[in-house]
Amino acid sequence: MSKKNIIVVGGGLSGLMAAIKICEAGGELKLFSYCPVKRSHSLCAQGGINACMNTKGQNDTTWEHFDDTVYGGDFLADQTAVKGMCETAPKLIKMFDRMGVPFTRTAEGVLDLRNFGGQKNKRTVFAGSTTGQQLLYALDEQVRKWEVKGKVKKYEFWEFIKIIKNDKNVCRGIVAQNMNSMEIEAFSADAVILATGGPGVIFGRCTASTICNGSAVSAVYQQGAEIGNSEFIQIHPTAIPGSDKNRLMSEACRGEGGRVWTYKDGKPWYFLETMYPAYGNLVPRDIAARAIYDVCVNQGLGINGENRVYLDLSHIPAEYLERKLGGILEMYSEFVGDDPRKVPMQIYPSVHYSMGGIWVDTKHNTNIPALLASGECDYQYHGANRLGANSLLSAAYSGTISGPEAIRWSESDEIGDELTDVQLAAAKQACVDDFESIISMNGIENAHELHHELGDLMNKYCTIVRVNKELDYCMDELKKILARWNDIGVSDKGHWANQEAMFVRQLRNMILYAMVICKAARMRDESRGAHYKPEFPDRNDEKFLKTTIASYNTETHEPEISYRDFDHSLIKPRPRRYDVAKGGK
Amino acid sequence: MSEQKTVHFIIERQDSPDSKPYTEEFLVPYRPALNVVAALMEIQKKPVTKDGKKTTPVVWECNCLEKVCGACMMVINGKARQACATLVDQIPQPIRLAPARTFPVIRDLQIDRSVMFESLKRIQGWVEIDGSWEVNTAPIQNPYTAATAYEISHCMTCGCCLEACPNVGPQSDFIGPAPTVQAYLFNLNPLGKFDKEKRLNALMEKGGITSCGNSQNCVEVCPKDIKLTTYLAQLNRDVNKQALKNIFNK
Amino acid sequence: MFHVTFYIRRLHSICGIVPMGLFLLEHVLTNAEALGGPAAFNEAIGKIALIPHDIMLVIEIFGLAIPFLFHMIYGLYIALQAKNNPSQYGYTRNWQFALQRWTAIFLFVFLIIHVVDLRIFTKGGGTPISYALLDQMFNNMGWFILYLAGMIAAIFHFCNGVTTLCMTWGIAKGPRIQTFIGRVMMLVCVLLSLVTIAFMAAYKMH
Repeated sequence: MSKKNIIVVGGGLSGLMAAIKICEAGGELKLFSYCPVKRSHSLCAQGGINACMNTKGQNDTTWEHFDDTVYGGDFLADQTAVKGMCETAPKLIKMFDRMGVPFTRTAEGVLDLRNFGGQKNKRTVFAGSTTGQQLLYALDEQVRKWEVKGKVKKYEFWEFIKIIKNDKNVCRGIVAQNMNSMEIEAFSADAVILATGGPGVIFGRCTASTICNGSAVSAVYQQGAEIGNSEFIQIHPTAIPGSDKNRLMSEACRGEGGRVWTYKDGKPWYFLETMYPAYGNLVPRDIAARAIYDVCVNQGLGINGENRVYLDLSHIPAEYLERKLGGILEMYSEFVGDDPRKVPMQIYPSVHYSMGGIWVDTKHNTNIPALLASGECDYQYHGANRLGANSLLSAAYSGTISGPEAIRWSESDEIGDELTDVQLAAAKQACVDDFESIISMNGIENAHELHHELGDLMNKYCTIVRVNKELDYCMDELKKILARWNDIGVSDKGHWANQEAMFVRQLRNMILYAMVICKAARMRDESRGAHYKPEFPDRNDEKFLKTTIASYNTETHEPEISYRDFDHSLIKPRPRRYDVAKGGK
Repeated sequence: MSEQKTVHFIIERQDSPDSKPYTEEFLVPYRPALNVVAALMEIQKKPVTKDGKKTTPVVWECNCLEKVCGACMMVINGKARQACATLVDQIPQPIRLAPARTFPVIRDLQIDRSVMFESLKRIQGWVEIDGSWEVNTAPIQNPYTAATAYEISHCMTCGCCLEACPNVGPQSDFIGPAPTVQAYLFNLNPLGKFDKEKRLNALMEKGGITSCGNSQNCVEVCPKDIKLTTYLAQLNRDVNKQALKNIFNK
Repeated sequence: MFHVTFYIRRLHSICGIVPMGLFLLEHVLTNAEALGGPAAFNEAIGKIALIPHDIMLVIEIFGLAIPFLFHMIYGLYIALQAKNNPSQYGYTRNWQFALQRWTAIFLFVFLIIHVVDLRIFTKGGGTPISYALLDQMFNNMGWFILYLAGMIAAIFHFCNGVTTLCMTWGIAKGPRIQTFIGRVMMLVCVLLSLVTIAFMAAYKMH
């Protein structure tokens, strides 16, 4: 009798993968997205997607992939989940191949593989330098097919506001807003999957799209969903700083011989080569990011006193660069206006990816029944640090788990009663009231300026190097920003495509999520993966081989941090060291 | 402190789909490598016109800011392009921004491009597979054909080619270069080509490839440098052959 | 289902070459005889008049009038579906695209005047076409300019039409061959226009 009616929020790789699985299982779904799903942030992923294809004569195994992922994640990832992902990866690649993804091929016509950081074997399948775009398009096309068949109804340009729970506290619907007409509506469903991506925009400028603000995650967190490992934010060492966003400059630049330097005493100083003679410019992401930070912030040696250093390719023959890095260099010329073949590029580390997110079990259930999360918005798979080319994999794979799991919910008795019209109307009205009160805000603060301050604060204290005293200060400042949010003035009072009012609502969610990141970082007194505290430079497995859990305190609006055990039974934790060659694992 | 250098913007605004367009002028502080989206963000922070009048922030669409999502297409100094990849240093001032009026305007610079996604349904823009479960290993592919597919698959549905095409607009039913050429992408695929006839027949319908008038603006404005006219000519070849088949094979 | 639009479009494309393009060439060549003076021109006209009247009428109706009317009327419909924008996008091909449509609209009017005046009223009224008749007509500067413009517009429309036909039929696929054909046809366009200007000038020279 049940129509298996599912709501998916977010149309990136994970949301679309879940959508396909739901349709194949006979479900019907409403797909909500901020933007046309074809414009989701998954398309910014460049390098590739990891899967043990073992076509390069290296005897690569899924266990090796599993081990690399767990090791790279500094042993904070749930190992059963990671193992499942690595074992499924080659099957997913074949599926994508059948869907028509134009992967780069070898002379023989099979999928080519490339090397990627933190892995000894060639294991990264890629489509030129736009793998994410190509994977996303393939899923978008398949979902379009289901749309034609009437199984998917897309709600594009609809913003998720919050979930609705029934009497048994089961998530049975959402409230969303049409971003053009501003109409707010409540929708009921058997289960809801959030696949809303990462929170990069909380840091102001980052490598993420402008839509990756973590607002949806924050909204469900305020409704009782737990957030896991939120302090683990990956910083990419080489990004082009921009006032609108930081654009990623691929690791391949260093791989192809790029040198990082800045002026010291009037002369070029190749500091990575001096600090790490063994690896030189090829140190891993976190090390490079920390070194650049140290040179700019602590030693004040950034270019012209700004937080920038040179990434220099100009000593390499132009024709070699063209062959190996053509597309990437064009992007630099296009957005900066200088030619990196002639002038050194100016780069600085940037917030890139959030390993943490909504806490989920291995089936992608959150702690709220019938609410699932998948993709970057969940905390699974990457532990304390993500390996390059594992993000597309985790996004797609998590969708293959969350989709069928949502179907299971829709067929189970546990979900209780459908939402009544009264409940739906009440949920809708609450959101309408909130929105109207935002539109009538007449304070003195500009929301975008306030967001700028939030970004600066988070970038300064919650990224590469974390110091407890500073985190305390940051938390105090965040509380002030939250208070100032009430004093925002909204200049656009209209009820048609009012982007400003929507942004004000998102901003509050961002501030509350920022507090989660800050507090979780404050509480974890160790250094692990992307989380580095000079006061506690070592990993402390005894105390912190645990998932950080943050839950919202409705009284104080602040997170409460606790720690939860997770499954690390398969590979015994060992020290993660990149300062010497890895040797036999 | 010397006087702050500014960039002069003249923006064509429109409050709702049915209301009348009007222009507003803004001065945005200059900085090196400033692009049009970054300038619009500055206006968001300080929505005050050149004459000091307070106004509402300009509405536009953008996501990735790396020229891959296709969201921020607008008409800049008369030409359709991606706002994020347009540096103010490289174009003459004052910079005139206008919505791409080939599409219905939602508000200010924001437009409704849903028609493009509908067209992708019409040309059956997908590979028909049995399911996402394990079936077979995928067939090997000629790496050169795959490279062509890769090029066409860069199309980000931004709509530059539709905006520039004189044959696309409210006066015509042409689906435009982008969706048309996507049909060729799927016809190239070893599994996708099973439905080649369906796609070619769809292109022979009203508003399909026959509406192309060879102005070739599409290939000039494509931000992804897709060789649209070459693939349009190839598709013309293919539909002509298909037409003969339709006549003589049945 | 039956792809009516497709076949009409393709038919429209062919019509532009056969018979219209050929008829245009015939016009240019026959009229070029005017360069040899009245006698040569009248002789050329005379040769055409040797075709028996009944056969000529059938050719004129089915070989010329119907294809012309079809190409003109459907062409006008096509031309009106374009919003020409060469001022915004000033690429060569876009200018040619716009000119193709502007000439189409002009030729639509010109051809009606031309046929109604010379074929229906003059010739149909029993007055044979001759050098003297045209000479007298072109004494009027307005007629002269109209006809000169009509000829050049038709020549451009035809030559550019050949270029686009090569694209529409998928004959020329890549940009190099398309550009090559485009340039050759523009050269042909210039040559035919020069011939036209020359024989038109012949009426003014004596």
